[in-house]
Amino acid sequence: MSEKPRDIIKRNLFSENQVLRGILGICSSLAVTNTMKNSLVMGLGLSFVTALSSLTLSAMRNAIPHRVRMLVQTLVIAVYVIFVDLLLQAYLPDISKQLGPYVGLIITNCIIMGRAEAYAQKNPPVPSMLDGLFAGLGYTLVLMIISLIREVLGFGSIFGMNVNLIGFETWTIMIMPPAAFFIIGGLIWWLSARAAKKAALTGE
Amino acid sequence: MDFGVIIKAVISLALISGALSVIISISESVLNNYGTCELDINNGSKVLSVKGGSSLLSSLANEKIFIPSACGGKATCGLCKVAVLEGAGPLLLTEEPYITQEERAQHMRLSCQVKVKTNMKLLIPDELFNIKEYICELVGMDDMTYDIKRLRMKLPLGEEIHFKAGQFMQFYTKPYGKVKEEVFRAYSISSKASEHDHLELLIRLVPEGICTTYVHTALKVGDKVRLSGPYGDFYLRGEGCDELIMIAGGSGLAPIRSLVYDVIEKGLPHKMRFFFGANTLRDLYYMDEFAQIEKDYPQFTFIPCLARPEPEDNWQGQTGFVTVALEEQVDNAEKKEAYLCGSPGMLNACITILKNKGFTDDTIFFDKF
Amino acid sequence: MAPNINPLIIFLASIITSNMVLSNFLGMCSYLSVSSEYKTANGLGMAVTLVLVLTTVLNWAVYTYVILPLEIVYLQYIIFIMVIAALVQILEMGMDRYTPDLHAKLGIFLPLITVNCAILGVTLFMVIRHYNFIQSLLFALGSGLGWWLAINMLAAIREKMANVKLPPGLKGPGLSFIITGIMAMAFIGFSGIFTIQ
Repeated sequence: MSEKPRDIIKRNLFSENQVLRGILGICSSLAVTNTMKNSLVMGLGLSFVTALSSLTLSAMRNAIPHRVRMLVQTLVIAVYVIFVDLLLQAYLPDISKQLGPYVGLIITNCIIMGRAEAYAQKNPPVPSMLDGLFAGLGYTLVLMIISLIREVLGFGSIFGMNVNLIGFETWTIMIMPPAAFFIIGGLIWWLSARAAKKAALTGE
Repeated sequence: MDFGVIIKAVISLALISGALSVIISISESVLNNYGTCELDINNGSKVLSVKGGSSLLSSLANEKIFIPSACGGKATCGLCKVAVLEGAGPLLLTEEPYITQEERAQHMRLSCQVKVKTNMKLLIPDELFNIKEYICELVGMDDMTYDIKRLRMKLPLGEEIHFKAGQFMQFYTKPYGKVKEEVFRAYSISSKASEHDHLELLIRLVPEGICTTYVHTALKVGDKVRLSGPYGDFYLRGEGCDELIMIAGGSGLAPIRSLVYDVIEKGLPHKMRFFFGANTLRDLYYMDEFAQIEKDYPQFTFIPCLARPEPEDNWQGQTGFVTVALEEQVDNAEKKEAYLCGSPGMLNACITILKNKGFTDDTIFFDKF
Repeated sequence: MAPNINPLIIFLASIITSNMVLSNFLGMCSYLSVSSEYKTANGLGMAVTLVLVLTTVLNWAVYTYVILPLEIVYLQYIIFIMVIAALVQILEMGMDRYTPDLHAKLGIFLPLITVNCAILGVTLFMVIRHYNFIQSLLFALGSGLGWWLAINMLAAIREKMANVKLPPGLKGPGLSFIITGIMAMAFIGFSGIFTIQ
């Protein structure tokens, strides 16, 4: 049951997008999406951790006794998260401060554990790494969409650069939590409705 | 790279995890230590002293009392019900979907969820005491069709099994290939109830099925096989009735075969009509044996039905689903009982037809797999 | 080092103005999946509050007396997670033994809570804001109660809406998010009363 790389990529980015279809990794999706810069950094950080964790856990998959499986997974993920956290603190300290505890919370992010359990356990290292990487990139994609909406409407900027050319009165609620909920709710609704319509058409 | 930092990190982590593991072990031995508990079964007819802390199901199994279970303790099958009069604690959230209000009044619990913490009073039905574990030797493995194998197993010297025709055994696989754990599945006994030192099971290959794949690929003649049983309330009743309508599909033939021989060997007067449903000719088996039984015992009629016979099969017998033959050939439910074994879909369709003819829940017996 | 905020303010703020779910987006996965029935949501809320208080206080002690003195702050994530996992395991055994009634209601939620980001999140917030013991205790208690409040509200609304006809695709997480968004908006009305972040 070996999947072609193209299929792994397509699946993780669209049809089984971890955030919008799997409803995983929500906590951080909502918290950091008030600016696009934060979202990009968070998304790339998570993709990095997911890719490497899946790679490592897949390589170790036959050596881990069943009883301590979850513990080992958590430890491996934690090590990579510490690595990313330290990197951020050193090279992007402002962003690190803005992201706050959410970098550490990557450890409990259901996406990584989910990919480890669902894919890396049963597949060889390289496909697992691809799967993890693109699950993370699918997550990044969603974050970018949400933060695009929030930053443009809430700050009038993209990546900190002012794009508010028409003097639009910025919509403050966009930067606040409720907007995040509404936008992600709307996106999930849209994709769900599309999937339902497709299923009805193919007569499922 | 400052090695001092790395070494300090590794040592601190090792120490902290060590400390936590020790704390967990100590807590486990203190908190989980329920001492020895007394299990009073059936009002004192049997009293067991077991070590507390495990589930009732496993504690009883350790004492060689086997409560039926299909899911291995995950609270998804609901088969392991035992009446616990005292000592069980409050009903758990995981048990609620499986215990009806009536059963709660009778103190029924799921033995895989109830933990033995103190002395308990239990009520266990007598037939469960007949359930034992057997380590048999596989002496024969034959292909009956392209996907059904017959396993013939010999019991250890001096041991005997007494079962009612129609009951099933639990068959335990061993870890193989990528499967790391042992699993168990239920299979009806196809051999005669009069044979006490051998057992036969019919096992059909289910795609991606852990147990059936084990049987069809990893198991060899001469291997040791673990079984427990007999279980089940699918067996012959027959009082006050003249005819038995038997219906099966695929490997569901197993308990019916056992039932047919049971009636014949006991010299019972019942007429028997066996409707066997399959798709094509290559799904049929035991054809010669049943033809012989028809000749020797006119009370038995064998009606195989092929749903989609291939042209090269040259099939002259009944075509269509077994429901068609059932509808045409069974007139009413007078003095009749029905025994069915097959897939849920087939069973439901046949039961609907039978009920339309007058059969009731008291005269229909089935084994769904 | 600890900020000069009255612990009582921290307690009230973490329920209302800095609600774990509605302002900080923590614990969303179980918040969404367990909120379809009020009874189970209530059970989970109770369990989360209990675990939060115990783990935060314990982690505070570990941070103050083990991590800081040994200067292994960069290992804090691993250590906190291990402490949380160990605590939950011991808690389950203890509850089974001494409070079987409670265990019957909450027991199945405990393993789920170990990976709930709210638990680790509250600990991390406590570390970042340098709370002292009393502040940590009341912060954890308030956060737990706030989370419990939020999941109860969502469960109540979802139960009431269970039989309503909805446009295709809306039922489920889409709807839950929109409802939560509305609740979050309502809670913003409280902002300014107490501010801790």
